[in-house]
Amino acid sequence: MSSLSVQLLVLVPAAAALAGLLLRTRRPLSGLVAAAASGLTVLLSLLQWATTEPGARTVATIGPLATGELAVPLHLLTDRAAALIAFAVALVGLAVQVFSIWYLRDDPRYPVFAATVSLFLAAMLLVVQSGDLILTLIGWEVMGWCSYLLIGHTSTRESARRAAHKALLVTCTADIGFIVGLVILGVGARSTDIASVIEFWAGPQQQATAGLRDAAPGLTAALVGLLIGIAGKSGLIPFHDWLPDAMEGPTPASALIHAATMVAAGSYVIARFFPLYAASGAARLLLAVLAGVTMVWAALLAFAQSDVKRLLAYSTLSQVAMMLAALAVVPAADGPAPGLAHLFSHALFKSLLFLAIGWLSVIAGGTAFAVLRGTARGRGRLQVSLAVGLLALAGVPPLVGFFSKESVIGAAEAGLQGKDSAAAWVVLAALVLTVPLTVAYCTRAWLVVSARPLSPTEEADLLADVEGATGQAESDALAAPAGDERPTARHVRSVSGASAVVVFGLAVLTVVGGLFLPAFEGPLHLGLTTAVLSLLLIGGAAAAVRAVAPAGADPAVGLGPRWGVRSDQGFGVDRAYVAVGRAVLALARLVVVLDEDVVDAYPRGAARLSGLLGTAAERRHRGASSPGLVALVIGVVALAVAGVTVWH
Amino acid sequence: MALILSLLIPAVAALWLLGAARHTRPAAGNTIALAASVATLGLTGLTAWTRPEVNTAWVPSVGVRWHFAVDGISVPLILLTAVLTVAVVVQARGREPAGGSTGTFYACILLVEFAALATFLTRDAIGFFIAFELVLVPMWVLIIRFGDERRSDAVRADASYRFIFFTALGSTLMLLGLIALVSATGTSDLTALASARGAGLPRNTQVLIATLLVAGLGIKVPLWPAHTWLPPAHTVAPTAGSVLLAAVLLKMGTYGIVRVAMPTVPDGFASVAPFLAAAGAVGILWGGLACLVERDLKRLVAYSSVAHLGFVALGLASGTETGLQAALFANIAHGLVSALLFFVVGALKERWGSADLSERRSALRESSPRLGFALVVGFAAALGLPGLVGFWGDFLAVYAAWSPDAGRPLVLFRVCAVLAVCGLALAAGYASRVLRTVWAGERAGREHEDARGREHAVIVVLVVAVIGAGVLPQPLLAVTASDSASVVGTRR
Repeated sequence: MSSLSVQLLVLVPAAAALAGLLLRTRRPLSGLVAAAASGLTVLLSLLQWATTEPGARTVATIGPLATGELAVPLHLLTDRAAALIAFAVALVGLAVQVFSIWYLRDDPRYPVFAATVSLFLAAMLLVVQSGDLILTLIGWEVMGWCSYLLIGHTSTRESARRAAHKALLVTCTADIGFIVGLVILGVGARSTDIASVIEFWAGPQQQATAGLRDAAPGLTAALVGLLIGIAGKSGLIPFHDWLPDAMEGPTPASALIHAATMVAAGSYVIARFFPLYAASGAARLLLAVLAGVTMVWAALLAFAQSDVKRLLAYSTLSQVAMMLAALAVVPAADGPAPGLAHLFSHALFKSLLFLAIGWLSVIAGGTAFAVLRGTARGRGRLQVSLAVGLLALAGVPPLVGFFSKESVIGAAEAGLQGKDSAAAWVVLAALVLTVPLTVAYCTRAWLVVSARPLSPTEEADLLADVEGATGQAESDALAAPAGDERPTARHVRSVSGASAVVVFGLAVLTVVGGLFLPAFEGPLHLGLTTAVLSLLLIGGAAAAVRAVAPAGADPAVGLGPRWGVRSDQGFGVDRAYVAVGRAVLALARLVVVLDEDVVDAYPRGAARLSGLLGTAAERRHRGASSPGLVALVIGVVALAVAGVTVWH
Repeated sequence: MALILSLLIPAVAALWLLGAARHTRPAAGNTIALAASVATLGLTGLTAWTRPEVNTAWVPSVGVRWHFAVDGISVPLILLTAVLTVAVVVQARGREPAGGSTGTFYACILLVEFAALATFLTRDAIGFFIAFELVLVPMWVLIIRFGDERRSDAVRADASYRFIFFTALGSTLMLLGLIALVSATGTSDLTALASARGAGLPRNTQVLIATLLVAGLGIKVPLWPAHTWLPPAHTVAPTAGSVLLAAVLLKMGTYGIVRVAMPTVPDGFASVAPFLAAAGAVGILWGGLACLVERDLKRLVAYSSVAHLGFVALGLASGTETGLQAALFANIAHGLVSALLFFVVGALKERWGSADLSERRSALRESSPRLGFALVVGFAAALGLPGLVGFWGDFLAVYAAWSPDAGRPLVLFRVCAVLAVCGLALAAGYASRVLRTVWAGERAGREHEDARGREHAVIVVLVVAVIGAGVLPQPLLAVTASDSASVVGTRR
């Protein structure tokens, strides 16, 4: 029974995707199928959770494949971590499906959107349940493709097409490392079964021969390769710039991509391969450095974004880097629980934030801070939900974000005592910077959306400021216009009951979510000292932002318009991507020139030569039929006659 | 019996169309061709199921025999050939290209089918050569007579003569290799040659034979740098010709390497393998890069074929069972994907009047969603998206190149593996480029009718095949498994 529930967990959303495509002309039915299937997925994930025992168990699928020397069993895997993360994924999926029925009510392509979301969920659940390198890769790549489709959903807009193109190119480039890494791991073990792979590379024999300090070079190469792929999907520097642009997708799609699936998948994959990373200090140090730098840099950029969705995108980068950092420094013996705990908690509060902002944007007619100013004020449940989400993101107790963030800090502190203390120092320093920065941008978002109404003169001043800033932004061709909403009259409509329940339900889960976290196997490293210290940092940062901001104004204005414009542009990283693209295109043009002028010159030359020889020969013969040819024709005829005669 | 009939029916129907029914009405010609190709499909299915063998003397004086047999390696190929011939005939109804009589057009299609089936079924080295050559003439006629009428005669002649020039050169090299092989061993029976595994042949002879065979067949595949005949041929050929060229003719090259070169002279093949791998890896990058800037959509698909066949070459060169399985799977995958893409691109070219990507047109997603969806599936499969048929061959070929057979230069193969993975990123680049230009966008300019009727049915069948074999690869892998083990010699 429990095997079947694991198989169905992946199959049901996949089947819903297929059904959604077939039903693409029947809108109400396609919405019903998508929502019902994701509801069923939540039930299945609960069933899995209820029936898991300690330790991992394998579940058969379509394998094994006949692939010669390589064993490809294609097993799924079920254990506590998989069950809990699958639950979070399914829950976010259900929330997104229900919310988008209302949110995309006027979108003629809603059925295809819902089908793509279903496929996306199937792919993520495949990664979560995968016990095989190939299944992990399948889920990983399908997710990338679905995010390409979702980001480009409104494909009549050039900016959406560009963002989708950019997301696909950046993640696929990074996947070069991912695929090579998986191949190396599989070649060593002669199998793609994850348990066999871990046994081969980090089993007792391997540790005895290689010594405990560091791993075989093959393993380090493989893990660094995997890490490059994960950096692409999870948006670690230098691959991070696709994610803010991905805000071109509809807001429910952003909730899905950011909260529980694609971006968070990297953390889960590293947790799955945790015994291997634990055996390679070099790979972990690289992970710690990349995650630490990304964490701080993204939090810094988040503060002055002119668009709330882009602010949330940068906060995702920062928070995902935090999960990865936890995995990079937690002591090898303690297991990946802190990173997974933050993944779980981030899934809850980030989906809450995106859906609440989506709701707010429908009311306000856009997602730019200038448009959203004061729109949450006096909106009861919506305002409370937003507050809960921002407080959880900032890490305020007793919300789920507090516990998971403390767990990450505790893991870094515990890592200081281990043998890889350099990585732990890096991460701890990054965390000390990131925690107050996170509070700062959360405070700013809150101050703006719940500001009191302005007097007419203040409004005129503010508008002048905003126009100055956005005017500069739009004059630059690289500044992507943010947000998928355009203020139109038909967008203003009342929220459906189901969508309101979804948002409020996520808010409740964000409040009580801390209760789920002990279900992860392994210590969470919660400590009183670090908790008190981080509370001081949180309180100080919030007070500082409030203090420097003039009453009722956007705190980011204090940093000046230049900083805002630079932040919106991501400090020109996009230009670097474009330069890389141009270099590849130049190489491609060179290839085409070589193809025509060098590679193809030989056949052309040969044709020309034979033509010349033919002409020369013809001149010698001067058109007269040669005696030889006449003799040949006579011979052939004679032979044919003889043949026919003999035949009879 | 089924085997012989599956060869005779297309041949006889083709001769009938060429002779008596040459100037028949298009619909009648189509009906004859459809009946013949459906019957052939049924018989091919029966052949694949019962696996008969026919072996009688043909030219006893030189030991050439009328020897046909089916094994796991040829089963997917004959089915692919038969299915795609039916698809091509169904799609062509009512849209027969001008340039010659309808009878000739369908006769050429059936002759290609006949020769391809004979190539995949014969077990005699000389018979293989004859069947291999037979396919050239009808394909040449398809290109030069029934090719794109908007192109000048000179362009059509250039494309078709280039096709003949390259493939005839390849065939000559292959013939030399075959003659050397037959004279050195004293038999032209491919089954006997394969089970002997080159026993008694000195190493130098083996290397010479393998070089000639791989070079000759490699031109047909086509391997870099002998690929320059493919893009013009595809651009000019009618949809039927493009589909058969990509999905059937190119397979004959890779099949020939597996059937004629690998098992007969294994030591010689091992010496050639590093060059084959390098040519494959360069082809992957070369094709992928050319696709990034190519302006003609048909040429673009042709270059992507070069890239995909690079993966096949890489798998073959690795010399392992995994590599051969990867190559055989990638071979079929390329057949399905390129057929789908050429059907869709052919349909688009018919509507647009050209396949130039730089022209601004109404986005397919808005104006022709069915063709648009098929194009998305086709290019997603071309970039090796898991869950579609292209993935398994690509991934397993990279795996095999990372762990080639003992004695292969490890560093070279691993460099080739990494280059091949880079080629996958390039594939993502060109797929996204095409979709961004053609599929996504706004309604602008003249709108065209979406696919419907027979055209749509053919495309749907291929889309289902591309997804189906991608989700469930095991049936296809299982068919080839035992015979690929005997080809690489892990099982005698």
